[in-house]
Amino acid sequence: MRGKPGSSWWLLQHELRMFWFNSSKRSDRQVWLWILGLCWLGLHGLAFHLLRGMPALPQEVLSIMAIGATLLMVVLGTFMFSSGLKLSVDSLFERGDVDLLLSSPLPSRSIFTVRLGAISVGVASTYLVLAAPLVNAGAVTGHIALLAVYPALLAWAIGTSSLAMLLTLLLVRVIGARKTRVVAQVVSAIAGALIFLLSQAYNLMHTGSRGLATDMVTRFAAPGRLLAPDSLFWLPGRALLGSALPLLCLIVVAGTLFVFTAQFTHGFFVRGLQQAVSSRRARIGRANKPQGQFGRPLAEVVLRKEWRLIARDPNLLSQVLLQLLYMLPLGFVVLRADSGVAPGMAAGLTILSGSLAASLTWIVVAAEDAPDLLQAAPAARRMIRLAKVAAAVIPTLVLMAVPLVWAVAQDVVSGLLMCFTVVASTICAALTCLWQGRPAPRGNFKTRGKSNKVSVLLELIGGFSWAGTGFVLIRAAGPGQNAYDARWASITLSVALLTLLLAWGTRRRAS
Amino acid sequence: MSADIALQMQDVSKHFGRPAVQHLKLAVKRGELYALLGPNGAGKTTTLRMVAGLLAPDGGQIEVMGIDLATDPAAAKQTMAYLPDDPMLYDKLKPMEYLEFVAGLWGVAAQDAAPRAIELLDWLDLSKHGHELTEGFSRGMKQKLALAGALIHAPQLLILDEPLTGLDAAAARQVKDLLLNHVQAGGTVILTTHILEVAERMAQRIGIIQHGRLIAEGTLDELRARTDGGTLEDVFLQLTSQA
Repeated sequence: MRGKPGSSWWLLQHELRMFWFNSSKRSDRQVWLWILGLCWLGLHGLAFHLLRGMPALPQEVLSIMAIGATLLMVVLGTFMFSSGLKLSVDSLFERGDVDLLLSSPLPSRSIFTVRLGAISVGVASTYLVLAAPLVNAGAVTGHIALLAVYPALLAWAIGTSSLAMLLTLLLVRVIGARKTRVVAQVVSAIAGALIFLLSQAYNLMHTGSRGLATDMVTRFAAPGRLLAPDSLFWLPGRALLGSALPLLCLIVVAGTLFVFTAQFTHGFFVRGLQQAVSSRRARIGRANKPQGQFGRPLAEVVLRKEWRLIARDPNLLSQVLLQLLYMLPLGFVVLRADSGVAPGMAAGLTILSGSLAASLTWIVVAAEDAPDLLQAAPAARRMIRLAKVAAAVIPTLVLMAVPLVWAVAQDVVSGLLMCFTVVASTICAALTCLWQGRPAPRGNFKTRGKSNKVSVLLELIGGFSWAGTGFVLIRAAGPGQNAYDARWASITLSVALLTLLLAWGTRRRAS
Repeated sequence: MSADIALQMQDVSKHFGRPAVQHLKLAVKRGELYALLGPNGAGKTTTLRMVAGLLAPDGGQIEVMGIDLATDPAAAKQTMAYLPDDPMLYDKLKPMEYLEFVAGLWGVAAQDAAPRAIELLDWLDLSKHGHELTEGFSRGMKQKLALAGALIHAPQLLILDEPLTGLDAAAARQVKDLLLNHVQAGGTVILTTHILEVAERMAQRIGIIQHGRLIAEGTLDELRARTDGGTLEDVFLQLTSQA
């Protein structure tokens, strides 16, 4: 049903269409639609098979399940908040159509309301589609209460998206548009990784600390306390499982949050947009003139340029930060100084360093903004490319240095073996990306795997091979040395080197 | 090649499935401002990109300042600068950082590059934007900064593709003055433009290219003599409609 041109419904349709276009590339959309559609139908069949004949659950079981469902909602909430934050930043800073919309006769409040609505629907869509097989099959097999999943997820997405937009606007007001882009990207990355980090933190706790945490949770779960089974704390879970009143409460809270955000902060939104444009020119007229640092060797000039570009790219920074966040649990393992975890730690650090180096190499090599400038210059291309690889490898190794030095201090042999696989993985990933890289806009960083599958596949095989090498080498060098491990090490090492050779053999002509 | 020739193209061809440039012969003297004109898709940009070393010709020879571009590209590139219609900039660099990088690519010594960078930024009215990233610059500011980058190593040959597109009157005047100063100081400029008045006023010689071939070349008076006369626009339209 098409809305009347200029109406809010019409604008919402436009926004959702834009969301869909931005989510998938036109060329591969049809193929993916077919594949995903078939999988989705298959999941319906599987869900139908599972739910058919399943009796309705008794109330006691449902109240226990509400706890699990609430925890699931919290996990989804962090992901939704992360996506909402990213989409809010995009709507303020990245989308090029806001000037067009604001210059139209549409009221700015409608534009903001529709945009916030589109963000909410966009955030919810993934989870609604994923939940659909179970919910639809439930409706057919008599588990009507499962239909509540749809409004519960939508309300949850509306609430988290509104909070994300409020945070974005607050950041713009407090720290300005320029810094908001960076901070919001970082917060989005942290929110996305929060549950993973918390789960790892619990796993890495000493037995005593775990006991303490369990005691605390048990105390709070006593009747009448915050985490008791009948507590309001589990309301989102009960709403998800189809209890009418909790569902109504969830919808009312989310709706109120949405209306409050849309009605009372649209002025901030418009000012945020204006600031986003004007902040780029806000520093005109500083008294001191910048002094360049000329006459440096070519390699240093290239390194400085690449590092400046990396450091000033909020999208990239947030991605790198996300990788570092996933590295944190490994850091905790290192600090525990438990020799039994050294092989696993070597594997983890090796994969992370390779992944980080590949990401940075893609940015400095494939996403070069001015390739014609480099080609038109008399400087040796080989030197420029080497300097670019160094620009990706050096920061990676600097970041890895802290856990590696600690590992060497704990156990020299396994620490040095770890250094070997980390350095090898870093350099191999960078070289693979250099040889296989195809020019692409910097903004394609997150989807680089789609556009260059061969490169990403070779990076993955290389990374896992080096990780395997680190794992078995350290096991082989440990107490009760094992010849079986040594043989495995030679196999994984061979795969790693062959992968590098393959990357070189199939390198693009330009390299 | 004569010592007073800055650029010599001999029988240069380039195909992209269809011919883009065909057996092009072109000679530009040192200290000359040469305007290469032609309709859209005539082969102007392809020609300039081949001269700048960004495209390898399928056939023929290009010499810049007496240096064969095919045999010693680094030495040839050292003498020239290329400015495309879409400025080659980095959004996340500040003006001085950009000039620092370009000077590094051309290996300009610090004692030459530093004062020249300050002079260029002052001249092009960009000094007051020294603390800003170029991502916030207007089209004109970006074009001026790219021009400063092209001039940082004091090239003998300056190749410009549509240098005045999108510039306001003041910025266009600054760029034109800078180009004339470059020529007066003994430098050579080759530019393409769709603004025929610019070519009419600034160029010592004009070449007209169509379908990848040079169909006419000479001073404005020489071109007028080949046609019914009038403005460069009249001459251009007559010549391109005849070809």
